[in-house]
Amino acid sequence: MQYSSATLIDKYLRTRKIPSTACSGCGLGINHKVVVQAIDELGLEPNDIIWGTSIGCAGRQTFATWKGDGFAGTHGRVYAIARGLRIALPPEKKIICTVGDGDAFGIGLMHLIHSARSNADMTIIVNDNLGYQSTGGQFGFTTPQGAHTDSSPYGMFEHNLMSEGMDVMHILKGAGATFLARHVAMDGQRAVESVKRAILNPGFSLVHMPYPCPTNFASRELGSRNQVNIYRWIKERAKPLEEADENTVWATGVWHDATGSRPEFSEHVWASVNKIRKTGAL
Amino acid sequence: MKRFLETGNFAITEGAILAGCRFFCGYPITPATELAEAMSKRLPQEGGVYLQAEDECGAMHVCIGASLGGMKAMTATSGPGYILYADPFGWALGCEMPLVVVNSGRVGPVSGITGAPGQGEFYLTRYPTQGGNFECITLAPNSAQEAMAMVVEAFYLAERFRMPITVLGDQLITDGFEDITVPENEDEMKEMGFRTWPRGSCAGPNFYPFTDDLDIPPVQMGSGAGGLCSDWTPTVEGYDIEEVEAHHKHAYRLIYKVRNHRDLFNHLYEKKYMDDDPDLVVVSYGTPSRVVNTAVDKARSLGMKVGALRLINLWPFPDEHFTRKTKYLTVELNWDGQLVREVQRAAPKDAAVHFLGTCGDLPTIPDLLENFEKLLKNQPLERKGWELEAW
Ligand SMILES: Cc1ncc(C[n+]2csc(CCOP(=O)(O)OP(=O)(O)O)c2C)c(N)n1
Ligand code: SF4
Repeated sequence: MQYSSATLIDKYLRTRKIPSTACSGCGLGINHKVVVQAIDELGLEPNDIIWGTSIGCAGRQTFATWKGDGFAGTHGRVYAIARGLRIALPPEKKIICTVGDGDAFGIGLMHLIHSARSNADMTIIVNDNLGYQSTGGQFGFTTPQGAHTDSSPYGMFEHNLMSEGMDVMHILKGAGATFLARHVAMDGQRAVESVKRAILNPGFSLVHMPYPCPTNFASRELGSRNQVNIYRWIKERAKPLEEADENTVWATGVWHDATGSRPEFSEHVWASVNKIRKTGAL
Repeated sequence: MKRFLETGNFAITEGAILAGCRFFCGYPITPATELAEAMSKRLPQEGGVYLQAEDECGAMHVCIGASLGGMKAMTATSGPGYILYADPFGWALGCEMPLVVVNSGRVGPVSGITGAPGQGEFYLTRYPTQGGNFECITLAPNSAQEAMAMVVEAFYLAERFRMPITVLGDQLITDGFEDITVPENEDEMKEMGFRTWPRGSCAGPNFYPFTDDLDIPPVQMGSGAGGLCSDWTPTVEGYDIEEVEAHHKHAYRLIYKVRNHRDLFNHLYEKKYMDDDPDLVVVSYGTPSRVVNTAVDKARSLGMKVGALRLINLWPFPDEHFTRKTKYLTVELNWDGQLVREVQRAAPKDAAVHFLGTCGDLPTIPDLLENFEKLLKNQPLERKGWELEAW
């Protein structure tokens, strides 16, 4: 299905924040559109979704864009807020959070893991601009090895969550996430399909979505803010999971689907509370 | 009414439930662990949820989430956990989210002594987060029964002011066994002076009016009102804005909604022998005030003109009690002197303000009497054990 941004904006977004103040050529808008398109294809309405955001480019540029209710947490904490909110919300309301890689995989990793551990129904979209970009461009925990950033002038050499066979997805899977996918911003409809499955999963879902940051990442690593270069650079390093080889940085597609394998957090907690209330025991 | 011989933790739990709290998230720490345990037992019986978080920062954020969804929520900890609330405390203040936070003070800094009472967070409950531009309300009970009452009151104030409220206790208040009366219905609650306020939901579109008005319900996620809340400076509608004037207006609200409505809580204090212009006013809060009250009774019987002022509402600091030019002595569970600084600031310039500290242990009555006598005779305070800086 071909979607015009204007139709999606009219239906779902607040014009006060759209267009955003993101740099020209930034890939964040593509990820944002993927998510809104997935919501539309699922036939969901603004009031079906509570939209949470982090800080940073990913958070601030998407905060208060959603027509329905929206909240932003301090750096790294939106996962814990969403977990408490999940208890208070009726099960049919969805929580979607658009966050940055530093937020999710750095400062917020422990809260993220515990939200996965509890299988709380929320969809976390990690918009990975390959580092800390709103603070000017420092390396993060998923920045490719060797990348030059303002805090890795000789090339990034610290062990991180995407080096030497490590993958942050292993951690999340081990913690109990029930749906995990990865897509780069250029994945188009494939990304939309994964986000749809993530939203439909009644449990903890995360979609890791690397996207191009021409202003900071590209200018340091590629020596150019030309968006074509950084789009190509990311695209060259991404391949569908089944075609991935040793040069693939981002193997894309559905990484783990255990939908329905564990009870959802809020449902489980409320069922337990109701049983204790009625019978005095579990 | 039902009577129990129980701990302060029990009393706080029952108070929270009476106030409508149906959500608790915490993290184990002495001496607040038993409170979490009591909540884990009682909340499900009342149809409420108890959760344990990854740490205190997470715990208070989880409570924020529940409150954001419309539930009355509480968390409890001691000093090492209270400091981890700094981040969510700021969020709850800025977004005006009602919450109740119990801090059972122990001996610090850091882990200090885990099983002994301390009062090292007097100032921290005034400045529990960074950035300034806000006021805080702190209530400090001195018994299990009063801890119950103050938790009920904290829930009431949290709703009306739309903010997190700290109930500052200490290890003796939360862990000590006392005779506790629990009201069983609304009439009995009223009889005991307990007030409650229901949770509302802001209909918008002005979620953050730049006024000092109370009784504006908080933003509720899931209400469909298009509510917004964030850690950034908000516009009236809740959009994030980088603008000095908008920030000034928001700060005005956070400061003056509290300062301009102190009448809602500034009756929370206790005075003893204060009607005959005592020559020495002993100022304290929390557990030490119980020893102070006994010592002052004794002092009076010995002919010393001593009065006792016990603060329950610690913040905003009730300056109005310190207008008289007399001698003041603060008795605190810390060696550095915290309350004394505030009394010095509030008292007239030529008033003599003294400090007597202990920590982990309560002062003894003979010790207090000896020091009252010295001060009344204009002699320097005697310090036991080692030399301390003179206050
Ligand atoms: C506790 C805390 N530490 C640091 C910061 C500073 N800070 C603001 S935005 C940001 C970058 C976050 O990076 P990421 O989540 O990857 O988002 P991006 O800006 O790259 O989209 C940081 C570190 C902060 N706001 N709060
Ligand atoms: S700094 Fe990079 S990620 Fe942030 S808005 Fe600009 S281009 Fe996008």
